[in-house]
Amino acid sequence: MAIRDDFEVAASQVRTAVQRFALGLLVIAAFGAMLVGKADTVLVEHARVLALDLASPVLEAIARPVAAANRVIADLKEFASLREENARLREENVRLLAWQTAARRLENENERMRGLANFREGPEASFITARIVGDSVSAYVRGALLNVGRKAGVASGQAVVTGEGLAGRIAEVGENSARVLFVTDVNSRLPVLIERTRERAILAGDNSPQLRLTLLQSVAGVQRGDRIVTSGHGGSFPVGIPVGEVVETGEGSVRVRPFADFSRLEFVRVVDYGVSGLVGGGSGPAAPSAPPAGVRIR
Amino acid sequence: MRSDGLLAMLDRWGRYALPGATLLFFVLLTLAPLRAPYLSGALPLLPALVVFQFSLATPERLPGPLLLVMGILLDLLLGGPGAPVGVSALGFVLIRAAVVNNRRYLVGVPFLFQWFGFCLLALGFVVLVWFFTALWTWTAIDPLPALMQYAVVIVIYPLLAPLLARVRARDPLNVPDASRGTARPGETTS
Repeated sequence: MAIRDDFEVAASQVRTAVQRFALGLLVIAAFGAMLVGKADTVLVEHARVLALDLASPVLEAIARPVAAANRVIADLKEFASLREENARLREENVRLLAWQTAARRLENENERMRGLANFREGPEASFITARIVGDSVSAYVRGALLNVGRKAGVASGQAVVTGEGLAGRIAEVGENSARVLFVTDVNSRLPVLIERTRERAILAGDNSPQLRLTLLQSVAGVQRGDRIVTSGHGGSFPVGIPVGEVVETGEGSVRVRPFADFSRLEFVRVVDYGVSGLVGGGSGPAAPSAPPAGVRIR
Repeated sequence: MRSDGLLAMLDRWGRYALPGATLLFFVLLTLAPLRAPYLSGALPLLPALVVFQFSLATPERLPGPLLLVMGILLDLLLGGPGAPVGVSALGFVLIRAAVVNNRRYLVGVPFLFQWFGFCLLALGFVVLVWFFTALWTWTAIDPLPALMQYAVVIVIYPLLAPLLARVRARDPLNVPDASRGTARPGETTS
């Protein structure tokens, strides 16, 4: 009995000691995790992908009810302005029909010109449609989680587009999940063209709803309402995906409003362009100048 | 050894697992693509609210290591290139410690005091996360969205806290201990 009592006393002493230092140990452990994450980014990347893959089935399960709730919220908002919205849409429809005619004519013309000039187009893009199952939107990140991954052919660096325009690019890929980094994220840098002047620039996000246009040769040439499209530099993005329009030109800073409406994204398309760019670093088959054998050249 | 029926055993396990499960749920909810204005931005702070609320009465069911794991999971899921992984874990652990060490001001007091306590601790949490994220990514991050997040979660607290407290109230162990300070939190003298 005495031995047992001694043991219990000792055990309780150890327990008190551990309890006393528990907070310190936990704090040290948390700091350790942060330091490891800073030092070994590859490890963290793997951990992120693993967590993503584990969480994505759960997220998919709750995404549908959440989407339904979102729709209700959106419906309630739209009911208020149904009449004006209708009038606006009718007007827009008339305008778009005129544009459609113009586009058809230009497409035909283009086709003929290409035939004449023996123009070789880049590899054809294919699309992977994905549902957004999770937001990774906080005060520090602008992104989303998709329910498609490596199995569906998604690779890091691919463009993610909505019906309106570019939404972002794939940042991390798991087996059945992927993380999109929106163009509005503070880490997003996008090579773009100003459609009217064909001038190159870099479009940077800063976590606000608008984007910043930088590295222009001449800021003076930019006007309000100019459309910004992807330039295709850096490889993995097709040329000419609409990104946004200039809404503000000031002293040395140009603000751009993205076309994609991040507040009501539900489905997006991942553009598989078939080439690996500087950011892709992986599965793409060949350099842009030599399209892979499987890709048809028009 | 007590000989319990299966139901009683499940019941006890359920009680022990409840705070952790609730926390996990809110960690996952952080990623829910909810498009309600303001609310969706504040989702990442709700796990901190859960940690605070459950640390009030039953901190022994949210042990430190569990908080560590949940915090790291939250950081991994929330993502962001270069963002520190583990800063939420640090915040959770500190919130729990702060609550446990200040039980006399937070437990068995009017609701307003608890709210005030939450305001202070949540501010600490937000500042901590902001500071480390700015330090780790070495950029001057605009603190306004973080403060907006904070303001929303402060407003949400009175709505959510009674709900969580109600979950807790069904717990027979949830009796305010008479000898504050000496007894381990949540322990009863029987």
